[in-house]
Amino acid sequence: MSTGEMHRSERLRILNYDTPAVSDWETGLHPMDDLLRGERLPHIWCQGCGLGTALTSFISSLKWLEKNRGWDLDKVAVVSGIGCTGRIAGYVRLDSFHTTHGRAIPFATGLKIANPDLKVIVISGDGDIAGIGGNHLIHAARRNLSITVVCVNNFNYGMTGGQVGPTTPHEARAVTAQYGNYEFPFNLPYLATASGASFVARWTVLHARRLTWTLRNALTHSGFSFVEIIAPCSTAYARWNPEGKGLDPENLRRRGLEVMKHYQKVGKIDHDVHPKDAHVKVNNQGEILEIIEGEFLDETRPDFKEAINQRADLAEKYWLSEKGTLDKRKVLTSRKKRVPRKEIQLGGFGGQGIMSAGKIIGMAAAVFNNLQACFTQSYGPEARGGAAGSQVVIASSPIHHPHLTQPTSMIIMSQGAYDKYVADLAPGGVLLIDDELVTLPADHRKDIKTFGISATKIAEQAGNNRAANTAMLGFWTAVEGIVDKDAMQESIAESVPPKTIKLNLDVFEAGHKIGLTIDK
Amino acid sequence: MPLWRQPLDRDRILIRHGIVNIIDDRCKGCGFCIEFCPQNILVISNRTNTKGYHPPEVISGMNCINCGLCALLCPDFAIYIEDGGEHTPENVVPIHRHEVQG
Repeated sequence: MSTGEMHRSERLRILNYDTPAVSDWETGLHPMDDLLRGERLPHIWCQGCGLGTALTSFISSLKWLEKNRGWDLDKVAVVSGIGCTGRIAGYVRLDSFHTTHGRAIPFATGLKIANPDLKVIVISGDGDIAGIGGNHLIHAARRNLSITVVCVNNFNYGMTGGQVGPTTPHEARAVTAQYGNYEFPFNLPYLATASGASFVARWTVLHARRLTWTLRNALTHSGFSFVEIIAPCSTAYARWNPEGKGLDPENLRRRGLEVMKHYQKVGKIDHDVHPKDAHVKVNNQGEILEIIEGEFLDETRPDFKEAINQRADLAEKYWLSEKGTLDKRKVLTSRKKRVPRKEIQLGGFGGQGIMSAGKIIGMAAAVFNNLQACFTQSYGPEARGGAAGSQVVIASSPIHHPHLTQPTSMIIMSQGAYDKYVADLAPGGVLLIDDELVTLPADHRKDIKTFGISATKIAEQAGNNRAANTAMLGFWTAVEGIVDKDAMQESIAESVPPKTIKLNLDVFEAGHKIGLTIDK
Repeated sequence: MPLWRQPLDRDRILIRHGIVNIIDDRCKGCGFCIEFCPQNILVISNRTNTKGYHPPEVISGMNCINCGLCALLCPDFAIYIEDGGEHTPENVVPIHRHEVQG
């Protein structure tokens, strides 16, 4: 040790780092110790594990960025999930986040969106990122969110004892696949590329120097960057597979090294290969024959933040134009009469405008009549022709329950809706029907008031049978009188297509006239 | 053996030199540094550290070229290189290779 005590104390003073009282690790001996939490070290990784090398490469790329790109390491956050690799977040002396299993990327997404200046790096294992968190990987890549995902792939679930994972090569051995894995693995660079990542690379830990360069590029990349690091699992995976020399007692203590030497033999650097062909080729004994590695993809595309900002600008423009028309709304004198809770059921088949009729009533009450309104819908899976119903609740006081308890008023425009809803009408309630579409059966309820008009015919005479709902609305307004007529007219004018406003208002007027003549 | 032919720019050639530092007690004896040192200046030692592993030791320190690969590959932060400056080839202890005669 040529550095001596001087070197160490000097380093500690610069770091302003308090060494914990109890620690197995003397901090300050190694140049990378300033980015390590000495109190948590030595790490748990086995002899010959590649994770330590992945961590060294990561730290050296960060140090390079700090020195040459002026990075502030206080603005770097490391997120990891569960597993051997997941412990990296606990070992680096940066802002770090050790999250639930598989959910490292969602946590990182939240961090990045809430604090866009933060450089967020997810470092986790293949079980965490490609296994339980596979969905999060593809969706973060799809959004091209500006985070870096480093997936350390050791081909199996190492921490739990070496079970088959989503990246275990076909025919390779694992503790739960002693005769060869019958599943097919993920090609992670291809998965990330296909999902929309804009920077994709793969290295083995043996190529630590190139891995460091790639990590620098990945960390400075704007957009989703994905780096797969292939690392030996000296205890679990290498035990069962030829490159770790299996159970040969001579090599028991050096399995990781044997795997590293094997990587030296089979690693093939090819930056221009399509990620689809970036395979890890394995023979039927589970021996790795070829690992294609390199920086496969580096694209410049608008990232998630840019896309959000772009869309927000457009939305604001659109909203300002909308607001202009809303501000021009006619102000009606607010209704003086108090309205107790009124429940209205509308029913018919899809395409008759049952939903829009309900919406027009609700809008007339809530926007133009200064009442409270609540609108719900129920319909079958068909868009047109199926059974459809909508429910409106109107009251002067706030509505605490949005659904109907017992409707007092009903607009029914089909026989199916009649069969379905009329039994629910409160005794003494008002039932309005289109008397051409609904035939009253012999056992029709006597305790309710039933009125009918030929709404469809009125609309057809006006020129468009799709305005039948407006005729019913005019009729309902005259009969019930819950909502003012001028409020309904304003609401219709705002809800229907501009070309049909006049037609609809005419039909409304016709329906209203018939309603006034009815003897209640 | 005195060299009778020398490159003209011999005085201007500078070779990077590194000083190897090994933190014995952190070593887990994985052998990465020994195997992948491009100058092959590390060997496994007979010493035993507190964990019971044999840490590496330096056999020909003057040949270290400060590439830093051992520090990058070491999973346990147990080895690093300090910059030992640059020196001209005279200071290098040459590696003598003898052809087998006969």
